[in-house]
Amino acid sequence: MMSDTFEPKIVAFVCNWCTYTGADLAGTSRMQYPANVRIIKLPCTGRISPLFIMKALEQGADGVLVSGCHPGDCHYTAGNYHARRKYTIFREMLHFLGVEPERLFFSWVSAAEGRKWADLVAEVTDTVRRLGPRRSAWGEPVEGIAAPRLSANPVPFEAPAGTFAAQAEAMREKAKALLAGGEVGTVIGYEQGTLPGTARPAFVSTPEEVDRLVWNEHCHQNLAVYAARKPAKPGKVALVVKPCDERSLVGLLQENRLAREDVVLIGMACHGVQSEGALAPRCAACQTRTPALADPVIGEATPPTATADPRLEQIARIEQMAPAERWNFWQGHFSRCLKCYACRAACSLCTCERCLAEKAQPRWIPAPPDGAGNLSWHAVRAWHLAGRCVDCGACSAACPADIPLYLLNLKLAQVVKDAFDYEAGRDPAAAPPLTTYREDDAQEFIR
Amino acid sequence: MANVYLPYLMTVAAVRDETPDVRTLRLEFQDESIREGFRFRAGQFGLYSVFGQGECVFCIASPDTRPGAIECSFSYRWGGKVTSALSRLTVGDTMGFRGPYGNWFPLDAMRGKNLVFIGGGIGMAPIRSIFETALDQRAEFGDILLLNGARSVSDLVYKAETEAWIARDDITCVKTVDPGGETPEWDGKVGLIPKVLEELAPSATNALALVCGPPIMIKFALESLAKLGFGKEQIYTTLENRMKCGSGQCGRGNIGGCYVCKDGPVFSAAELEQLPPEF
Amino acid sequence: MAKALRTEALLDFLRAVQQDARRLVAPVEEDGLRLFRAVDRVEEITLAEGNTRWSFKEVLFPRSEALFHYRLSGGSVALQEPDQPEGETVVFGARPCDAAGLAVLDAVFAPNGRPDPDQAPEHEDPFYRRRRAQTTIIGLACLEPGPACFCTAVGLSPTGTAGSDLLLTPLPDQGVFLAEAVTEKGERLLAAHAHLFTDTDDTKEQATRAAEGRIQRTALSGVGGPLATLFEAPPWEELAARCLGCGACAFVCPTCHCFDIVDEGNAAGGSRCKFWDSCGFALFTAHTSGHNPRATQPARFRQRVLHKFRYLPERFGVQGCVGCGRCIATCPVNMDIQEVVAKVTG
Repeated sequence: MMSDTFEPKIVAFVCNWCTYTGADLAGTSRMQYPANVRIIKLPCTGRISPLFIMKALEQGADGVLVSGCHPGDCHYTAGNYHARRKYTIFREMLHFLGVEPERLFFSWVSAAEGRKWADLVAEVTDTVRRLGPRRSAWGEPVEGIAAPRLSANPVPFEAPAGTFAAQAEAMREKAKALLAGGEVGTVIGYEQGTLPGTARPAFVSTPEEVDRLVWNEHCHQNLAVYAARKPAKPGKVALVVKPCDERSLVGLLQENRLAREDVVLIGMACHGVQSEGALAPRCAACQTRTPALADPVIGEATPPTATADPRLEQIARIEQMAPAERWNFWQGHFSRCLKCYACRAACSLCTCERCLAEKAQPRWIPAPPDGAGNLSWHAVRAWHLAGRCVDCGACSAACPADIPLYLLNLKLAQVVKDAFDYEAGRDPAAAPPLTTYREDDAQEFIR
Repeated sequence: MANVYLPYLMTVAAVRDETPDVRTLRLEFQDESIREGFRFRAGQFGLYSVFGQGECVFCIASPDTRPGAIECSFSYRWGGKVTSALSRLTVGDTMGFRGPYGNWFPLDAMRGKNLVFIGGGIGMAPIRSIFETALDQRAEFGDILLLNGARSVSDLVYKAETEAWIARDDITCVKTVDPGGETPEWDGKVGLIPKVLEELAPSATNALALVCGPPIMIKFALESLAKLGFGKEQIYTTLENRMKCGSGQCGRGNIGGCYVCKDGPVFSAAELEQLPPEF
Repeated sequence: MAKALRTEALLDFLRAVQQDARRLVAPVEEDGLRLFRAVDRVEEITLAEGNTRWSFKEVLFPRSEALFHYRLSGGSVALQEPDQPEGETVVFGARPCDAAGLAVLDAVFAPNGRPDPDQAPEHEDPFYRRRRAQTTIIGLACLEPGPACFCTAVGLSPTGTAGSDLLLTPLPDQGVFLAEAVTEKGERLLAAHAHLFTDTDDTKEQATRAAEGRIQRTALSGVGGPLATLFEAPPWEELAARCLGCGACAFVCPTCHCFDIVDEGNAAGGSRCKFWDSCGFALFTAHTSGHNPRATQPARFRQRVLHKFRYLPERFGVQGCVGCGRCIATCPVNMDIQEVVAKVTG
């Protein structure tokens, strides 16, 4: 009934050289096609930021079409190859968030393909018209559908007796030697927190202060977050790192945020850390127990025999939800977001000097902590960490609203692994997946 | 209860370029009763809005003796969102204003005194407000000296008015630009404001000085005034801070326990000295 | 004489309250955390000890609200006042620390409501004022303060009445809640549901002693001395070295009230929105020119501490920190304001 009267609003982002010219050809050739599409012309698909798509959806577009030059035909050599990689990840992310994938269209239309353009627009319009209006506004839950809840089964925490004490002793010895010998000016490690069963980052700059440092299962924060900051005391910084923390240093090295010689790494063989009295879920199946880059590695640890990551099961359950349920699942969590940006502050790879969330000209992310603002923030954050997040868990641990951000990041890590065979934080010499491309990257989703 | 956040709708009545990146807007209240009833005191500030872009804070740059309209002068060299939008307004456009907020220059204490006004760059805006307020009641005050300075000739604000002030014989007005900022045609002084001030050497006896400009200029101007014998209670300046509400609620306006938006923006040098170094 | 409400009659009372008010806000369990939410059914309410993740301040000072709406067309502007649909609201389960925090919000947002006849009328937040008038607070005393709690250190009590209109103190041994009407609103609430309450000789003295005895954190003497010394003497660099610069502490705090205002919309119109902000953010005080009066994280952390322990008491005569301990428990790196103040004041 709706489809009889509903005229969808569709935004098309097209490249100047191929698709726009193709659309022009369709026009000059007097080919008829529906008038539902508003065309926004950009130099290249490489310039069509996923932010544009999100903005269009936020502002009420019923469908979005992105179109550019065929592979090999890019006016700027490779813009479309880069775009293809971006959209491979971005599409999956929107899908995972519960945006109906049927409303997003990607195509290659050359300057000569006026017919293809006209047919494409007709098909896109028809598809969106049949889908009807969006189920809800951007960031608002779909009415009448309960937000499903996920629960996890905690895994008990176990570590071989005495391990932590021995490691702590060796770590303190190393820290003292580094400070006494003047090799570093500051050691950033952990000290006991002020609440029972907690540890917190500690900055020490004299051998005497080193006795404050501890090492135990509560040392969950990722101290690499301090790596690129200028220390208050002169001299180099030494960081106490777990293997996962070290992976974020790999990212910082890849992105030239610091040089390897700028920092001394005291690597701790890891038995996992605790979260709410149990083993942190990310540790349950973690196979990386020994730091690879660190200067000394202190202690030994063997990977767990369990290889099933409990979080993957949660991801699978989200994927089994109907899109509207998935959408409500996330809106339910995001509705608690206070926009305190603890996720960003705790992330060692959120290194932008000025976060997009703080840019007002234009304002891509609505500033207030409301439906639209929260959804856009978390989508942008996850998107900016795609192919970069090393799964250290810092964002989720920092979130005062317990939003399971790790699920979003982990999902994108899976997409990147599947599509581009890349794992973040492994090889300082590797090219990050969104800075490169392969001519034969998969493109089934592009018409 | 009235919604204090609802701005008055204003019509841009005139737009004047002061410098390549400073502009003055003359704003008229659209609502007749507000136009009649609106009063403020020189030194107070307001929040100016471009709807869809946001609000920003400046002092009112016109004298408080001429009701019916207000003027603001603002710099858009930093490319802020709202100042950029303000710089795109043309005559006849609608924008918003709410205020006045904050305290004001001590006009009553100024009566019967010799007055020294010192403005540097865009810092002339609040000085202009109190200076013209004084001019409108000329007989109430003793000698009046105005020093309007800028980095360069093109950065000097209120050029035409400054010429008119210079031409008056009941006040002294001096314009100056920083060394290197002059042009061949320049007929004013060349020299930093504190230095020119020391040359002019106004007497501190029965006098008050009102100063506004960039922080570094204020710092040295205060030193020069001290050399000339001005006590800390004889010197007033105005501060600016980032503000959102204009009234001590949003949490940005404080310097220590003092709120620039409520206890200021006008402070005596004696009060300034009591503030922690956080401005 | 004090009144008593039988423990098993609590839900009947809340159900009755819910029928009178438009909205009942109370702690519920959601995705493993406890939060204040508007409840449909009183059975959803959790009475678990301890604090909700953040306070109920958003009932009065929402995270985000429209100050007005604007419509733009062809150069003309039309402004429209926002609706304020909440209406009569009852908050149940406010802990005494959170309720005491209202004194700060009142002082900042509704200064004219304070009994100070000498004070000239001031700029007031009309939205806060309206909500405050329409809201009744039913406090719930704490029997088991947690490890982060330090209300007694700032002169409050786990069974204190400040800020509540009606305070319920559980007396499990007697099987009742002791009910104390603190304000007229509270009196009216008691009177309206008089049939559920009985006179009692019980007092909360023992409960108070036991609860206060559980608080392990030491007393704070307040932050005195010359401000210049407080600015420079304490090792702020060291105290705040690990601070990450997020806003978690401010947003979970019952008394933090800083906000930002931006226009959100498109070419056709939108809303001017006021929403929570935090002095911990680097750009909070940054001028457009790039100048920032609080340029470093230690300077921003100092602002947070001194705002609560020095500026608010000095300016408004209110205690800026109520010792709920949320910032300590929520901080990703355990910045501990009680520890810091104890150190700063020696």
